[in-house]
Amino acid sequence: MTRVLIIGYGNPLRHDDAIGWRAAEELARWLPVDDVDVLIRYQLTPELADVVSESNAVIFIDAGDAGEPGDLTCERIEPERERGGFTHECSPGTVLEYCEKIYSRRPRGFQVTLCGEDFDYGEGLSPKVEASLPHLTALVGHLVKSESSRPNAA
Amino acid sequence: MERKTIIIDPVTRIEGHAKITLHMNEKGRVEDARFHVTQFRGFEKLCEGRPFSEMPSLMARICGICPVSHLIASAKACDALLAVKIPPTADKLRRIFGLAQVVQSHALSLFHLASPDLIFGMDGDPARTNIFGVLEQNPTLAKDGIQLRKFGQQIIERLGGKRIHPAWIVPGGVSEPLTEDNRDAILKALPEALQIAERTLEWFKSVTENFREEISVFGNFPTLFLGTIKDDGGLTFYDGKLRITNASGDVIANGLDPVHYAEYIGEKVEPWSYLKSTYYKPLGFPEGIYRVGPLARMNVADRCGTPRADQEMAEFHELQRTAVLSSFHYHHARLVEILYCVERMEQLLTDPEILSKHVRAFARPNALEGVGACEAPRGTLFHHYKIDEQGLMRWSNLIIATGHNAVAMNKSILQVGKHFVHGDKMTPGMLNRVEAVIRAYDPCLSCSTHAAGHMALKVELLNASGEVVDRLCRS
Repeated sequence: MTRVLIIGYGNPLRHDDAIGWRAAEELARWLPVDDVDVLIRYQLTPELADVVSESNAVIFIDAGDAGEPGDLTCERIEPERERGGFTHECSPGTVLEYCEKIYSRRPRGFQVTLCGEDFDYGEGLSPKVEASLPHLTALVGHLVKSESSRPNAA
Repeated sequence: MERKTIIIDPVTRIEGHAKITLHMNEKGRVEDARFHVTQFRGFEKLCEGRPFSEMPSLMARICGICPVSHLIASAKACDALLAVKIPPTADKLRRIFGLAQVVQSHALSLFHLASPDLIFGMDGDPARTNIFGVLEQNPTLAKDGIQLRKFGQQIIERLGGKRIHPAWIVPGGVSEPLTEDNRDAILKALPEALQIAERTLEWFKSVTENFREEISVFGNFPTLFLGTIKDDGGLTFYDGKLRITNASGDVIANGLDPVHYAEYIGEKVEPWSYLKSTYYKPLGFPEGIYRVGPLARMNVADRCGTPRADQEMAEFHELQRTAVLSSFHYHHARLVEILYCVERMEQLLTDPEILSKHVRAFARPNALEGVGACEAPRGTLFHHYKIDEQGLMRWSNLIIATGHNAVAMNKSILQVGKHFVHGDKMTPGMLNRVEAVIRAYDPCLSCSTHAAGHMALKVELLNASGEVVDRLCRS
């Protein structure tokens, strides 16, 4: 069983929306492969519950748009039942809810968000966001270390 | 009573950003409807000046749900620029790749988006009309949906790598041959997928009787239908010629070469939408409107070409003596196609050539213009590229499935609105039906940046002066 799963997601052709991809690519290069699995996705979809159920902790990395560019946040997330309508994509909380309802597993969930400023068409992060990327990967690195050392509680 | 406009912005449970405007007359009846796509697609500009060889992996990023279709259409356009015939095994592997994606895309549409309406009804409690309600009411169905998504996704990963945007399909073929282990693993997974498809089809047919009123007005009108078929008239998602049939089921154009799409497909730009509306040129606009996707494919093809899917297609054709017209039946058609895809994958995977190591043709650009087309889950997809002598992209045009269906979606909303929407207030049941008819087409509108998109639902009633007289929000 993978102890920690990292899922970076977003659209790499919309400048700062690529934060999740870039961070996941960086982390995949230097995190230990035995305890950590890294996925890159365009968006979150229901079947991710399957792979999430095989981990003890899951860290979702995404771009945000509420705050100052470069703002970094990390928060615990719980299973969440989306109400009413929904799109092709799921929220991280909904993936956890799927996981609990279908696989009876409840890994610890974290949402790490770096606030972007440019979501227009094109590649490459904006300067402020690029400069903040190492802080994001360092934070996730610490989180992985912390979660990897926890006893299996999922 | 004063004239009003109802705006639904954005539409939920579809991809991208859109809003619906219902124009009410003085009697409180819907007299016009528009389906606006408010997000500009900039990919055609984004590719200019780049090497054409980058196009498949770049274009695959247009969509997170159907990247493989863009990959295939783009690679086929690049094959045309190279002027190569790809090795037979590469052709078969690309087909398997495409079929796996159709399965997972159709599964998302049916199980994740449509099944809540089908289980709880169009007037169901909004708090329960979601996939978690489905999990409680029919856990087998909900789990089957997850399993089928996983099935398709795992095949894509086995062939193309773990990422959602695999670069395995390349100009000239595919980058790596299929291994024996991967072939055997995929073959092993097929029986369960087939069982799920069969089980879900039976369930779907058992509930459709509850939706007779919806079937009668969910895009139930005459149009043309367009889709790709094989030389023998069979269903195909990868290659073939285009056929157009009319509402009576008669073939009005056959053997159309996708390369010459611009000769018979017109594109109309509406000032209120970024989505280009397409039409069959010989009939003009709007008489030449047509539908694409699962319903159209069922209508234009003579057969599927696999045993169980052929049986189900025959039963599908019995729904109506002419062409099957109601867009509600898109759901049914999707399920027949899932069955076909699983059966067809088995045929391809047991082909003696499938493990061949010859999977790629190499060449320099030998043409300055190329067109690639395929059947994406939602309908016919065209990629058209022009390059310079250095192989740099100079121009491109993409016609996506949702664009083909744009006019039909407008008409469908109008039909549903006229039948179900009355008066000053929009009830949840009215709202859900307007959305549900759009969901039947499963449009994929922009593959937008989700970080900037907030998919709340907003309904506004505007009077003739444009003032908001009522507002309904759902987040």
